[in-house]
Amino acid sequence: MTGEVGILNVGAGDTKLVFDPNNPQEMIRAARIVKDMIRRGYALLVEVKAPDVGQPSTYRRAYDFDESTCEYIIADLDPIAAERADNEEAETQEPASASDTADQPQAKRAKKARTRRVHASTTRTVAVARTAGG
Amino acid sequence: MRARREPLPSQEQRAVELFEKFDKFAPLRNSLRKIAAERAEWAGIPMQLDGTQLIVEKSYPYAQVLNAPPDDGEEPGIKVRNSWWSSRLRAEVYIYEEDGKIKKLIARKAPHNFSLDIATFGCMDVWGLEQEQKAMQLLATLVKHRQLKQYILTGGFLETSRRSGLMYFFRRLRPTVVIDARDQSSDESARILCTLCMHPIAHYKATWAGAMTPTDDVVAHLMLMRGDEHMFWKRANQHAPDRPEAGL
Repeated sequence: MTGEVGILNVGAGDTKLVFDPNNPQEMIRAARIVKDMIRRGYALLVEVKAPDVGQPSTYRRAYDFDESTCEYIIADLDPIAAERADNEEAETQEPASASDTADQPQAKRAKKARTRRVHASTTRTVAVARTAGG
Repeated sequence: MRARREPLPSQEQRAVELFEKFDKFAPLRNSLRKIAAERAEWAGIPMQLDGTQLIVEKSYPYAQVLNAPPDDGEEPGIKVRNSWWSSRLRAEVYIYEEDGKIKKLIARKAPHNFSLDIATFGCMDVWGLEQEQKAMQLLATLVKHRQLKQYILTGGFLETSRRSGLMYFFRRLRPTVVIDARDQSSDESARILCTLCMHPIAHYKATWAGAMTPTDDVVAHLMLMRGDEHMFWKRANQHAPDRPEAGL
C-alpha cells in the first residue's frame, strides 16, 4: 500500500510525493520534504478513513510529522461526533437537584487535547502553501 | 565506424517542446519550475507579469525581491483620516485632510465587475494548460462525479461543510461564496454571508488571479474548508456580498 502527497505547485500544477514502504530511499526523501513543509507553515490536509464502511472520509490538518516513523500527527477529535455525543448526553441527563450539588464539588471535565497518528503510506494528503490573501 | 545515434526524445520532452512552441511563456514557467525544485521551493516560484503587481505571502523566501515597495497611496500634503464602503452609494468614501481642512471624496464603483474581470483575464499568461490539467486531475480525485461535472460545465460546484453546516460555492477565478441555509424551518431564504478570497503563495493585485492555476486555487479552498474550516476563514479575506471584490 502506498500513500501520496499532492503539493499544489505554481509551475507544475500538482507535484506528487509517494510513501512506498518498498522504496525506503524515497520514503526518507518524502519524509524530509513533508517535515520541511510543516516547518514552513504549509497546511497538510490528511484524509482520514471513516471507521464504519460506507461512511465518507474526513480530512484533518496535520499539526506535525514524525520523520522517524513517517506518521502524520493530527488532532484526535471529530467535531461532528463530539457534537452528537454532547446532544445525546444533554437529552439523557437528568436535571441536578439542589441537595445533590450542595455539598459535593462539581467534577471538572478534563479537556486535554488528544492526538492521533496516521502513517503516511496509508493515506493521501494535499499540501497547501501559506496564503497571500486575495 | 557507426555514427552514434542520439537517443529519441521522450514523450514528455516532445510535449514540453510542443507547448513551448505555442506558448511563449512556457519556457519561463518551465525554467522557474526547475529552479524551484533545485532550491526546495515546494510550491514553486510565482511569475512576474508586465502590467500587474504581484503580491507575495510575507514569509515566502523571495517575498522581498518579488513584492513591490509598499505604497500607502497618499499624495504629499494629503492625509486620509478614515475610509469605508457605502452599500447605499456603492462607493468607497474617504475623509481626508488637505491643507488643514477636512474634506470628503466619494469614489463610486461601476455597477458591474468588468474591470476586475478583464484584469483577471490578462493574467492568463502565468498559467499553463498542462498545469491546469494536472490540477483538474487532482480535483477529480477529491470530489464526486456530479461536483466535477458542475465544475467543468459551469465553473463552480457546491459542498456543505459537515462541521458548520454552511454551504460553500467554490468557483473558478472568483472568491468562494459562503451561504447559510441551515435554518430550514424559517420562511426566510438562504442568505449569503460573505465571499472568501485566498491564494496560496501569491496573487495579482486588483484581480482574482492567483499565482497558481485557477483549479489549484479551488483545490486549496476545498481542502482547507474540509480539513480546517477555522483556518480557512482566518487565512482568507472576507468580502461583503455587495462589494465588487466579492464577484457576485
